[in-house]
Amino acid sequence: MAAASETRRAIDAVWRIESARLIAGLARIVRDVGVAEDLAQEALVAALERWPETGIPDKPGAWLMATAKHRAIDLLRRGTLLERKHDELARELEIDRELNAPDLDAALDDHIGDDLLRLIFVACHPVLSTEARAALTLRLLGGLTTDEIARAFLVPETTVAQRIVRAKRTLADKRVPFEVPRGADMAARLSSVLEVIYLVFNEGYSATAGDDWMRPALCEDALRLGRILARLVPDEPEVHGLVALMEIQASRSRARTGPSGEPVLLLDQNRALWDQVLVRRGLAALERAEALGGAGGPYALQAAIAACHARARTADETDWPRIAALYEALARRVPSPVVELNRAVAVGMAFGPAAALPLVDALASEPSLQGYHLLPSVRGDLLAKLGRFDEARAECERAASLTRNARERELLLARAAGWARGAS
Amino acid sequence: MPFMLLVMEKGEERRARTAPEGEAAYARMLAFADGLTKRGLLKACDSLRSDAEGVRVAARGGKRTVVDGPFTESKEIVGGFFLLDCRTMEEAIAIAHECPATEWAEVEVREIGRCWEGNG
Repeated sequence: MAAASETRRAIDAVWRIESARLIAGLARIVRDVGVAEDLAQEALVAALERWPETGIPDKPGAWLMATAKHRAIDLLRRGTLLERKHDELARELEIDRELNAPDLDAALDDHIGDDLLRLIFVACHPVLSTEARAALTLRLLGGLTTDEIARAFLVPETTVAQRIVRAKRTLADKRVPFEVPRGADMAARLSSVLEVIYLVFNEGYSATAGDDWMRPALCEDALRLGRILARLVPDEPEVHGLVALMEIQASRSRARTGPSGEPVLLLDQNRALWDQVLVRRGLAALERAEALGGAGGPYALQAAIAACHARARTADETDWPRIAALYEALARRVPSPVVELNRAVAVGMAFGPAAALPLVDALASEPSLQGYHLLPSVRGDLLAKLGRFDEARAECERAASLTRNARERELLLARAAGWARGAS
Repeated sequence: MPFMLLVMEKGEERRARTAPEGEAAYARMLAFADGLTKRGLLKACDSLRSDAEGVRVAARGGKRTVVDGPFTESKEIVGGFFLLDCRTMEEAIAIAHECPATEWAEVEVREIGRCWEGNG
């Protein structure tokens, strides 16, 4: 029994590290990501049947690829693929040539960079919903199972399975080509990819209370995807900006929750717990983004803000005027009430509550912030600093009634109670 | 969770290797590293020159010692390293299996972590 489960875990591990290049390589041949994924899955099933008997082969990646390619040839011969006949012959010859390569294992890496890049762009194609893009990306590039993705996004497994099936069908129906976008298309398609990677990261990062290991692991998956992308398109500053943002945010993971799992706000965190290796990597990535002329990109700007916190050894040393200026630049680039609210906080820290209050008041009628608990929470904070404790308490209590997070509600009510005493 | 692959070579075998043999092995290791990099699995790697050119430095009881290589008392030398970026020990082992050096050396798989064993 123990040996069987050990083999199973070893096969899972092989799958995790092999599946992306397997699917990417197959997609180049069959030119259909859905079919490529099916072929790879069939090869995995074959491995699960065979390897417990035979042991894991010396070159498991090459074994999986050879198995999948033989099935690809079967598919082509049966004419089940949509492409024209002469195309199929040419492809069959190509598969044959690759199968007979002297070193199949080395041949796996021949096109790996281009193949992975194409796979990322197809999985994150704008014809798919954001949720579908995220699920497909984790499945195709992260090697995650449907069950793991479901646990990560806290949705039923069937929901994820349907998303993936529908996404693959959409890609086939719309005849989305397996290629890297060129020219003007590139910018829009790249931002779609970056959005998906950051979404995956945030799903992991915001799950401070999750007991499930899958959610924090999502941060690592997102970081890995970001680093892969940074190597494949090294001249795109926003890719480095996103990597910088994720590395610096991830550096604070250990400091973000207290002993009993309660969230610890940035300024209250024990900075000795910040991971300095990740900070340095993040700052280096930010430098690359800026050196490429991308200092004004939305991700680079957010990374620069995160970097201001990372560089401050204590909360008091934080360069708030610079953070306020960066938020202003960000607000001009991507106007958003939430960015504006963050700018107000920074202005308050840099230039005092009286300077910040008008900025917050200007957001009061903003429809998208109705019901957003941080608006009254920030306003209450500023009012308290101005000594207007009664108004501060009322705002804080309103914030408490709006938040859906029990821990945060306790925190806000405790603060409101403190101001009640301060007022008396 | 980072893991380290240490390529453990027999010192005398390393010293007996001819230049063409060494270059061929090195080329395969470079291709292996390149593939890992593109797949996002590698943080850093390098190969090390022979222990014959190495030096061991120690300080005990206020006394410094410097011993020149080769270090005959140890049969194995660290020939190179790969700092991996993968999720589990099983994945690190699967990557180690792909390493061409498994054909002429032993590849030791170690997790990055604290350097003491006791608790508390």
